Amino acid sequence: MHPLDRAVLNVWRLKLGMVAGVATLGTLAYEVLNLFDGDLPLPFGLTTALVLAAGLALCLIVPPLRYRFWRYALRPEELYLERGLFNRVRTIVPLRRIQHLDVSQDVIEREFGLGRLVVHTAGARSSEIVLPGLRYEEAEKLRDAMKRYILEEDVV
Amino acid sequence: MSSDVPPVPVLSRSDGQGSSPVDPASYREARRLHPLTLVQRLVVSLPALFFLLLPFLRHPDRDAWINLVIAIIYGVIALPWIVLYYHRFRYRITPRELIIESGVLTRKHRNIPIERIQSIEIEQRLLARLLGLAKVKVQTAGSAATEGVLEYVSVPEAHAIRRIVRVYQQHRTDAPEAAAGPPATTPETGEATPETTGLSLSLRRVLLSGAFRFSLLYIAVAFSLLQYFDPDPEAIALWLSRGALRPLITRAADAPWLTAFLFALLAALLSWLTGIAVNLGKYYGFRLWYEPGKLHKRHGLLTVSENTIPFRKVQALILRTNPLMQRFGWWELKLQTMGFDPREQGYQVAAPFARLDEIEAVARPMLPFHLPETFRSVSPLHARRVFVRWTLALLLLSAGTALFWTPAWWSLTALPLVGLYAWLAFRRHGYVFTGERLFVRRGVLRHHVWVLPVEKFQVFYLTASLFQRRLGLCSVYVDTAGVAGFAAPVIHDLPAGEAEALLETLYARFQAHYAGAEPPGAEAGVEAIRSRSEQSPR
Repeated sequence: MHPLDRAVLNVWRLKLGMVAGVATLGTLAYEVLNLFDGDLPLPFGLTTALVLAAGLALCLIVPPLRYRFWRYALRPEELYLERGLFNRVRTIVPLRRIQHLDVSQDVIEREFGLGRLVVHTAGARSSEIVLPGLRYEEAEKLRDAMKRYILEEDVV
Repeated sequence: MSSDVPPVPVLSRSDGQGSSPVDPASYREARRLHPLTLVQRLVVSLPALFFLLLPFLRHPDRDAWINLVIAIIYGVIALPWIVLYYHRFRYRITPRELIIESGVLTRKHRNIPIERIQSIEIEQRLLARLLGLAKVKVQTAGSAATEGVLEYVSVPEAHAIRRIVRVYQQHRTDAPEAAAGPPATTPETGEATPETTGLSLSLRRVLLSGAFRFSLLYIAVAFSLLQYFDPDPEAIALWLSRGALRPLITRAADAPWLTAFLFALLAALLSWLTGIAVNLGKYYGFRLWYEPGKLHKRHGLLTVSENTIPFRKVQALILRTNPLMQRFGWWELKLQTMGFDPREQGYQVAAPFARLDEIEAVARPMLPFHLPETFRSVSPLHARRVFVRWTLALLLLSAGTALFWTPAWWSLTALPLVGLYAWLAFRRHGYVFTGERLFVRRGVLRHHVWVLPVEKFQVFYLTASLFQRRLGLCSVYVDTAGVAGFAAPVIHDLPAGEAEALLETLYARFQAHYAGAEPPGAEAGVEAIRSRSEQSPR
């Protein structure tokens, strides 16, 4: 069982941080716009500070926890995934069921040299199974290994 | 992967399209889209720009300047985007797969195995046709979405792509089945046995089946009629308060409970009659018959629909009933299907209203099963979890309503009903695995039984939510191909140990089904990769 690459912590922190930042700015805008109406429930700036603090706390707490529960393994006949902080999920994807494979990378992941492997199957609820937080080359290696297997499978 | 690549097939003009010979080798190198794609995309983006600029063009005053700014920003983003998209897009076809690299901000590298490709559609809209371009859509069985889109390539290139893929597919698969349905062909997909001659429903049966179903369609009809006539509510109120209905209204006001009861009765009667009518329209003259490897059905009063379903497209069976129907031994049989065409995916009613033995007979040629007498029940804690969930929902609802209307608290008197529901939910939930079929049953008001054949299993899940973990419970779910329906055959709230054992059994049986078809060498390859990735730093 492999953990994800530790760099994914930063990717998740950044992404959560962006959400927190937007929330903070929104709160701040609300406070400034209502500053002179005198109907702010809390003293000026406090709400924004609270939102900011909550956002930062989330950024610090959630990614490591999420990271801790992510595990994957490529076995001879299946890809095995374990994940989930609140809802813990174990998934077995038989390699023979793979329809096609993606390796993708968004802007933030690119900064950290990470990529994600997306496994597509015909399953009604599993048309996309995502394995994030791999080094890009590792994702390509995994894909090539899986590809090799599904292609040699003649009886679909 | 070079050693086992089949030789490059020689493509000649003899396979129908009538254009010049194609060299498949040139498609092994990364190829770009047609440069005119830039023009096409630019032209298509113009209407948006025009609408952004419209206020400015009409009154070029102060207020409209903002639109000009937006339009410029749009241009600054959209134009480079078009160029970058073109620049980043690459595709190639090897004898084993179609590879597409794309993406401006999110880069994506997609590998579609040749034998997984179900269809290649070539689409030419007006503008593309003027430019001599074509859009190539590549479908696999994965989802309803198109998995690979090349927009745009030249028309000869589009046809060349299609031909190359076809030739490679013929090369790879001598057995026609392999290129067909996504999951395996079952050993049972034989001919219809003589004793299964299909099913036809008499008019009496169709009417009876409607009597078990309620439909709220009449409400929609009433609303659309209201929209159509658009009556003036004031005039109606005036008419009602003045006219002959007055004594009735005063009576109703005197006995509100009776009125409410009568209204409920009327609504039930209406929905019952609508149910019969709707059912009659849909299933009048229902007939189902077989051909070798296929199932045909035909039904309908005004709109007659006829359908053909190859057996191998059937992924799972769903038996449905409700407490009333079940009391009298009636069931509905639905097929979960998966096809080449997204339109064929989904659910097909194979028997709208039949006895269990009739349903087993209908299913016999395509997916024989025998409904077990007894099911293994899940943990009794399931009842507790259902009770807690619905109690919380009820509490929230009544508390929310009570903010405006205090008597809402009285709805809490329904708690015993919630308890009954929870107990029934536990009693009705269960599973059986026979080694060939997984049966999952669930549902209080709508009772479902899923029949999932081992050879159609796709992906296996074991889940445990925070609350389930506290109680030592897990849920097990085996995905099958098709379209995600409203309800899924999840086995909820098994004791953790049992769930894990079940998952292992299911997967082991799945592997055993395919054992013997293992290609030599694949394992070694995976092992090599694994050991390599083991060494790599984390």
